[in-house]
Amino acid sequence: MTSLRWVLTVSLFGMLGGGLLAAQVPQNLPSKNPLEGDPAAIQAGMGLFRGRCADCHGMDARGVRGPDITQIWASGRTDDGLWKTIKGGVPNTEMPANPRALDHEIWQILAYLRTLAAPAPTDPPRGNAQNGEKLFRANCAGCHRVNATGGRLGPDLSRVGVARSREVMVRRIRGSIEELGAGYEPVTITPESGQPIRGVKKNEDLFSVQIMDTRERIQGYEKDKVKAVVNDTKSAMPAFGVDRLSESDLDDLIRYLQSMRGFDPAVRP
Amino acid sequence: MRPTIARVTWIVLLAALAGTAVLIAQQPPPPLVTAQEIAGGLKPDGAHWLTFGGNYGNQRHSPLTQLTPANVNRLVPQWTFQTATLGNFETTTLLRDNILYVTGPLNLAWALDARTGRQIWRYRRELPDTGTLTACCGLVNRGFGVLGDKLFMTTLDAHLVALDIKTGAVVWDATLEDYKIGYASTIAPLVVKDKVIVGVAGGEFGIRGFIDAYEANTGKRAWRTYTIPGPGEPGNNTWAGDSWKIGGTGVWVTGAYDPEQNLVFYGTGNPGPDYHSESREGDNLYSDSLMALDADTGKLRWHYQFTPHDVHDWDSTQVPILADLTIGGQPRKVVMFANRNGFYYTLDRTTGKVIVAKPFVTTTWAKEVGSDGRPILLPGNRPDEKGAVTCPDITGATNFWPPAYDPSTRTFFVNAREVCATFFAWKPEYIPGQRFTGGAAQRLRSTPESPVYGALRAIDPTTGGLKWEFRYLNPSTAGLLTTASGLIFSGDSEGNLLALDSRNGKLLWNYQLGATMHGTSPITYMVDGRQHVLVPAGTTLTAWALPQ
Repeated sequence: MTSLRWVLTVSLFGMLGGGLLAAQVPQNLPSKNPLEGDPAAIQAGMGLFRGRCADCHGMDARGVRGPDITQIWASGRTDDGLWKTIKGGVPNTEMPANPRALDHEIWQILAYLRTLAAPAPTDPPRGNAQNGEKLFRANCAGCHRVNATGGRLGPDLSRVGVARSREVMVRRIRGSIEELGAGYEPVTITPESGQPIRGVKKNEDLFSVQIMDTRERIQGYEKDKVKAVVNDTKSAMPAFGVDRLSESDLDDLIRYLQSMRGFDPAVRP
Repeated sequence: MRPTIARVTWIVLLAALAGTAVLIAQQPPPPLVTAQEIAGGLKPDGAHWLTFGGNYGNQRHSPLTQLTPANVNRLVPQWTFQTATLGNFETTTLLRDNILYVTGPLNLAWALDARTGRQIWRYRRELPDTGTLTACCGLVNRGFGVLGDKLFMTTLDAHLVALDIKTGAVVWDATLEDYKIGYASTIAPLVVKDKVIVGVAGGEFGIRGFIDAYEANTGKRAWRTYTIPGPGEPGNNTWAGDSWKIGGTGVWVTGAYDPEQNLVFYGTGNPGPDYHSESREGDNLYSDSLMALDADTGKLRWHYQFTPHDVHDWDSTQVPILADLTIGGQPRKVVMFANRNGFYYTLDRTTGKVIVAKPFVTTTWAKEVGSDGRPILLPGNRPDEKGAVTCPDITGATNFWPPAYDPSTRTFFVNAREVCATFFAWKPEYIPGQRFTGGAAQRLRSTPESPVYGALRAIDPTTGGLKWEFRYLNPSTAGLLTTASGLIFSGDSEGNLLALDSRNGKLLWNYQLGATMHGTSPITYMVDGRQHVLVPAGTTLTAWALPQ
């Protein structure tokens, strides 16, 4: 049978969200994984992870559409906190709740992930976050939003510090990742009259396409009422080579992004 | 004589009784559903849909002609019914005497007024804690069977229940197997003569699959045929050691019935563990096969194995379709089967021999099917810890969503998927009631050179050749319905209900339903002289007809 249907089921039950989680977290949830280091649990957890999680997190857990989770312990997360994340999902992200996952299955997944966990980086943190914030406002905030400030054309980066590793951020900023994320695929619509409209695609079916254009107008178009809908192949995110962003500025910018750990109204300017 | 009060009362009473008698005489209750009525299939009066595939051949081809390619674009919704529960439809609805019989997720079921969509009764099974149920891929159900005054439904905790057709009350409840060790049932029962035929799911949980028949009247088991032969039986030696005991091979999609031979034809599921197969060396009969069983005794007449020693989870639980064709100038009684493994097959249904076997999607694991009926394998497709790329992917070229067949044009229709995957395998441990797959698969992403997409494909069953295709943006999981007026109804992966010209694949009409027709097929019937099309999608049923 298919993992497709498992995913569909998970997505569906994901709609239940946090209320369900509250009801499903056992009262005596251990703070430490009781199955850590258990060879059978690690083996079972590998199967569960690869079958249920790897589509987004990658077979090596280093992230595809979802975050790199090899450094999740190094970033300070705890076993019981991760258990709750797997069970309840992360609201307003693609990480679904898994209400049908059995308690021990979640511990098995975590036992396996623990074997992939990278040690905390020994390098001292690099860069100056304050300068990074300035760089962000000058170069990135036109398209990216943090803590409710900035543009909307690119992904919101308010929690990018927990969602992406330094390595992935560097590759994305330097332009070596051209993978187009769902909701951010560039598209050009040519109306029957008037100028072509560029934007990013929010949704599409055989008959219509929904976009946010470069002026941040959200709008749907019926395909048979426009001249052309062309999917652009190049990401709207420009590459910031060393000519545009020095190594030292890159360190500053990443240090700032690493401090983005979820929406924080207290830091709203 | 002046009327007295007593006399007037008598007169009124007599008149009322006479009126009632007239009423009864004018509207006799409908006769019970008979086996002959089911065997008759779909009729031009459009008064019923009594078995999963419309007729015993599973053709899903309606003789109705009020809706045509010229007027289908005027369809308007008549009513919408909502389940008011979580989980999606994966069902084929039944209809008789203007009443619809519908199964939903979590073993909910309803009788609905086909004129208005209003509920007459609702049934809800008391299920064990859903966390303990093992249905791998959704707490779904694929539809009722019916006979006499009873409806039959399989359950997620591996029972078969008979419900009173007029009230939804349980008449009998038979245990198929113990759900705690991996068994579940989601299949729509097939009623043949006085028996109700069902199967079990659990190919990912180390079950030993079987097909059962129960007496419709009593719920007593009439026969059981295991899909994995036991010791001493032919085929048991195709499983290494004791692997036959936990070799999966579930049966979770309804078969076909040939009254002439008194045979039922069932596609069987994947062997387990799905990907890591060292423990089950051999062909693993009768996994990934079509089994032809005597409907009275369950005795195996013949089998054909599509994918010997499967390592890609390619259950052959697709819907078999029966037809009589002329191939090479010879009349042939055939069973048609578009398989998850990427090949389309036309088999002789009297012998199980291959007449046609041809890929209907990109297929990289086998070069072709040889003259002995076995696939000729291509190297590099056995999953391991590092992963091996194979097409089709795990969900397959097609799957459980029903295909259709138009006998007037001799065309087989199927919603096909063009997707490849990297398959991984590692050694699993068997723990009763727990997943036992030994691997996983990761779909390859769409690229301009190798796009992921789906298509409705019209196949000539005499050659396996493509007559036409209608491409979707993404692979569709919708079932199909064709009509004698040249229509085909389908759905895409973005939630559009589509009507196309079945002769050429031209799109005629579309409507955004808000949910995909995942595994569901529309049915069509007449209500008060108007042809209706009923579409289950997500948590809603919508009935369509031309404006009055």
